[in-house]
Order: sequence, then structure tokens, then C-alpha cells
Amino acid sequence: MKMESVKIAPEEKVRKKPSFLKPWMSLKYLFKKPVTIKIPYEETQIAEKYRGFHTLNWKTCIGCNMCGQICPARAIEMTWIEGEKRPHPKIDYGRCTFCQFCVDVCPTNALGHVEHYILTTEWKDEELELFDWVPLPEEMVRKFSDYRHPLAKIEKYEDGRVKYVLRDGSEFEFKILGYGLKPPAAAKPKPAAKSAEKKEEPNPGEKKE
Amino acid sequence: MVTQEELIREARENGMELLPLEKDTYELFFGPQHMATENYSLILKMDGHRVVKAIANPGFLHRGFEKLAEYRPWHTNIALLLRICVPEPDVPEAIYSMAVDELMGWEVPERAQWIRTTVLEMARVSAYLFWMMGLSFKLGVYTAGQWAAAYRERFMALFEELTGARVYHIYTIPGGVRRDIPGDKWLRQLRDTVEYIKDKLKDFDNLVFENYITYRRLEGIGVMDKKFALNEGVTGPNLRATGVPYDVRRADPYLLYPELDFEVPVLKEGDALARALVRRFEFEQDLYILEQLLDMGPPSGPYKVDHPSLKALPRFRVPAGDAFAHVEATKGDFGAYVVSDGGNKPYRVQIRGPSIAHGIRVIEQLLVGARLADVPVILMSLDNCPPDIDR
Repeated sequence: MKMESVKIAPEEKVRKKPSFLKPWMSLKYLFKKPVTIKIPYEETQIAEKYRGFHTLNWKTCIGCNMCGQICPARAIEMTWIEGEKRPHPKIDYGRCTFCQFCVDVCPTNALGHVEHYILTTEWKDEELELFDWVPLPEEMVRKFSDYRHPLAKIEKYEDGRVKYVLRDGSEFEFKILGYGLKPPAAAKPKPAAKSAEKKEEPNPGEKKE
Repeated sequence: MVTQEELIREARENGMELLPLEKDTYELFFGPQHMATENYSLILKMDGHRVVKAIANPGFLHRGFEKLAEYRPWHTNIALLLRICVPEPDVPEAIYSMAVDELMGWEVPERAQWIRTTVLEMARVSAYLFWMMGLSFKLGVYTAGQWAAAYRERFMALFEELTGARVYHIYTIPGGVRRDIPGDKWLRQLRDTVEYIKDKLKDFDNLVFENYITYRRLEGIGVMDKKFALNEGVTGPNLRATGVPYDVRRADPYLLYPELDFEVPVLKEGDALARALVRRFEFEQDLYILEQLLDMGPPSGPYKVDHPSLKALPRFRVPAGDAFAHVEATKGDFGAYVVSDGGNKPYRVQIRGPSIAHGIRVIEQLLVGARLADVPVILMSLDNCPPDIDR
């Protein structure tokens, strides 16, 4: 330890003198405006690149599962969708920590993020389901500028079809064939695909070594 | 009728500890709901309003960070380890990244070093503001506490602009940082903020650090001497308040600190007042360091090492070996020891946190004889980080 190089502050600079009168000087702040922002009556400005909800370009996503491997919270599940050659990530915001490492690792920059961040709900089941979704393309998410989740409703049907209803009323429909890394047999329903996924989950990192 | 000894023995057989009741004392559970303890708990044996014996009762925030880190890829761990210290999450990020850099044999680019130093200093300033908030609340000077919270908000906004998050920045990664500085506008904002806080420090002095009541409350409580502090592994401002001029930024310089000019405050009393004054002076010095960094300006160049392994993070591998890196946090000497066996996950990550030294043995000693009203003040003067104690 090189003690000689330490520049020690003179003691009189560190010490302060107690005073009776000085605390009263703070009374001047009685006549100043408060710094508090009255949410929700006033709006806050969110930083341009705030790490919020994800966006996904469905055309460029190659389903490599890099995002699923790097995710610290294991919030990403690969989802097979009818008409798409490769699986797309489904993100569960109940687990997501918004670290956005998945966006960093995406080799084709298909996965991105917007600054929308509001996760509050009225604690209804159908509202909570909104936060477990396959992200939509950026232009669909950016339409809404109030930082809330773009979906208003998710309708699920028995044959695997899912309908995303956006808050402006437009709809987005697709069919989920199964989950996991391996392509599910299209004829077989979910349970078969789920068991395949369970086998792979414990060591997703070692698969590609 | 079961006797007291039998009960104690029975409890011990079942892995519990029962404390014998005494005629003159009573037991007081202090925390974890108590605002002063922040998810940390103490069992106090009281005689009237004096503490006879204090027993630390931690573990409410135990998440097993070190074990969890062995099961996650290298980069993923950053999103986990920064939760060890919430007021300054950049410190665990930085030590882990510095240790991995050493293992990889990387020389971090100059621009990244500048950004890392700035982020660490900003974290120090905002952590000290957080501490000022806590101390003021515990002293009953609520005004100053509200100010500190409001001024910290300015630094959170700067962090938000730079890193994309307000509290958990997840910004420093092995090989550099994740994003470049948003532009000159951000640097100007930082300079304005530093000027602003420097101006407002006078108000804090008036209301807290030069207040007669603060001196009456803090003087002579929680006294620790030099020998005791060195024996117990106390570091940081708590050690400097006992008269040891040990600062990691000077004793084992890292990043840009050799080029920066600052003074290390040392006081000899070792009581709560000395600790508070040392912290207050360091806060001033940190603002001065930030000014120097801004005068220096960020060097041009890349903000991240250009290495092919950083393209595919899940397959990022670190050569076998071990490395230790430590930085000076506001709580003390924060270090990380990382062992790699050449895989895509660490073999072992050991964190040397300052609060575990302050939070268990030291606090048990310092609280003996203290008044109940002084317990939160002594706790706050040590400035513990409960997740670091429980880990």
C-alpha cells in the first residue's frame, strides 16, 4: 500500500462548526415551488432509448434462440407459428427484468425495444395475460404514445389460434402450433411439444457447443 | 413443568436458539418492518431504553447470488449481481466486469474507461444522496431528506438517458460498456447537475451538517477505535473515520483514478459524527472528481472491445484462471473474485462486500449501551446495504 501518495484532507476542512442559526436559513424554501411532479396530471418525459417493451420484426427473426439463452430470468419461450418457418420468441413480462440483453444478442436485429414501460393493470386475469406475448413489429407498437402496452385484449381459441386486439381496434391473428426449440408435428396438439421442450430446458447453453 | 434449561436444550436440538429470559431486561424485535433497518433485523435486549445486547438477525433478502451466478452465462450474471447493492448498482457490475476483463486479458478502450469512471462517480454521488436522505430521516430532519431524494432524481434522469434504466442500469459489461454517451447534450446536463448539487450542498450544510441538533445527536455514539475496526475488516468511510487513510482508489488504483486529484478525509474519533462528516466531505470530493472528468472530456475511440466473442454472448467463453478486482464504493471496499474453468459460465463468483463486515459483528458491538432512539442513527451512520449482508 502506497500511503505516501494519499493526499489527506486537512482536518479543519472536514470538520464543521455546529450552529444555532444556520438551520433557520432553510426557511427560504417555504417560498419556492415544489419539485414534485403530479402524476398522472403531469406527464414525465421518458428517455429516448429507455429499455421498455420489446418489438419484433417477424420477417427478419430467424428463430436462433440466442435471446432465450441469454435471458437471465428465462422469460423467453420460442413459439412456433403457422406460416412462419422459424420459431419466434414469446416474452413473459412477469419474469422479464428489462435488461435487454436479448436485443443486444439478436444477430439480425429483429428484436428491438421501445421506451413504453407502463406495466400497471387493474389486476384482472385477462389484463395480466396481455403481458405474455409474441412482440409485434415496431410500427404497430409505436402507434401509441402514452407508454402503455399496445394490446387491449388477447383472444385465445381452442385450435391454437390467437387474436391480438390492439388498443386502436386493429386486429392481428395467428395460430400457435407449439412451444420449444424443436418443430412440433403440426397434427399433434400442445402436450407433445411441451414434453420436448422440457427435456431441453435444463441446459439450453450447452446445446450449441 | 418444563424448566428453562430444558426448553433451551430442546430448541438447540432442533437447530434453534432460545435466549434465556432475565428479570430486568426485555427483548425487542427491531425490524425488518422498521423503516430504519431496510429489510434487516436486529434482536435487542433492552434494559429500559438502553441496549444491553444486540443480536443481528439478517437473511430476509437472501437470494443466493453467488450460487446462482454459477448457473448463468457470463453476461447474464450482470443482471443478477447488481442487485447486491441497490443504491449503487454500478459497483457490482464494474467489479465483475473488471475481473472478467483481467481473465480475458483485455485492455479496455480509453473511452470505456472514462465512461466507467464517470458512471462509478455518479453512482457514488447518488448513493451519498441516498444516504443523506436516510440520515436526515433518522435524525428527524425530514426537509433535508426530501431534498436529497429530489436531487438524486436528477442523477437518475442522467442514468436513464445514458443506460436506459433508472435504478438497475445493467450498463458495464466485460470489455467496456453497452452504449455510447448519448451526445454532448448529456455531458452538458451532467455538468449542470454537478454545479446545481454543489450549490445545494450549502443548504445541506446549513440544515444537517452544521446543525446544533445533529451534533448533539451524533457525537459520541457508536464509537469504534482503530484497532477494533482493523480487526473486524471495516473499510470505507467507516474506517477512515477511525483514523486510517485507506482508500482503494489510492491504495490500489483502477480506471482513471491515478490521473484524478482528490483528497481523502480522515478523522480520529470513530463515532457517528466522524463517519457522517467523512461521508459529507467525500460527497464534495466526488462532485469535484466529476468536474475534473468533464474537463478531461471523453476520449475518442470505441466504447467496447472489438472482439468476435462479444457477437454471440451465450457462447462467450473465458479462459481458465482466476482474477480479483475491487473498487471503492460508498459503503467500503467492494471486491469480486471470479474463477473460470474455461466454460461459458463462471466456476465461482465470490463477492467481498463491505456491509457484511459492518452489518453483523460491528453493529452488535456498537449498539451495546446505546439508547433505543440512537439505534437507527448508528445503523445509518454505518450505511449498510442489507442485500449485501444477506447475499
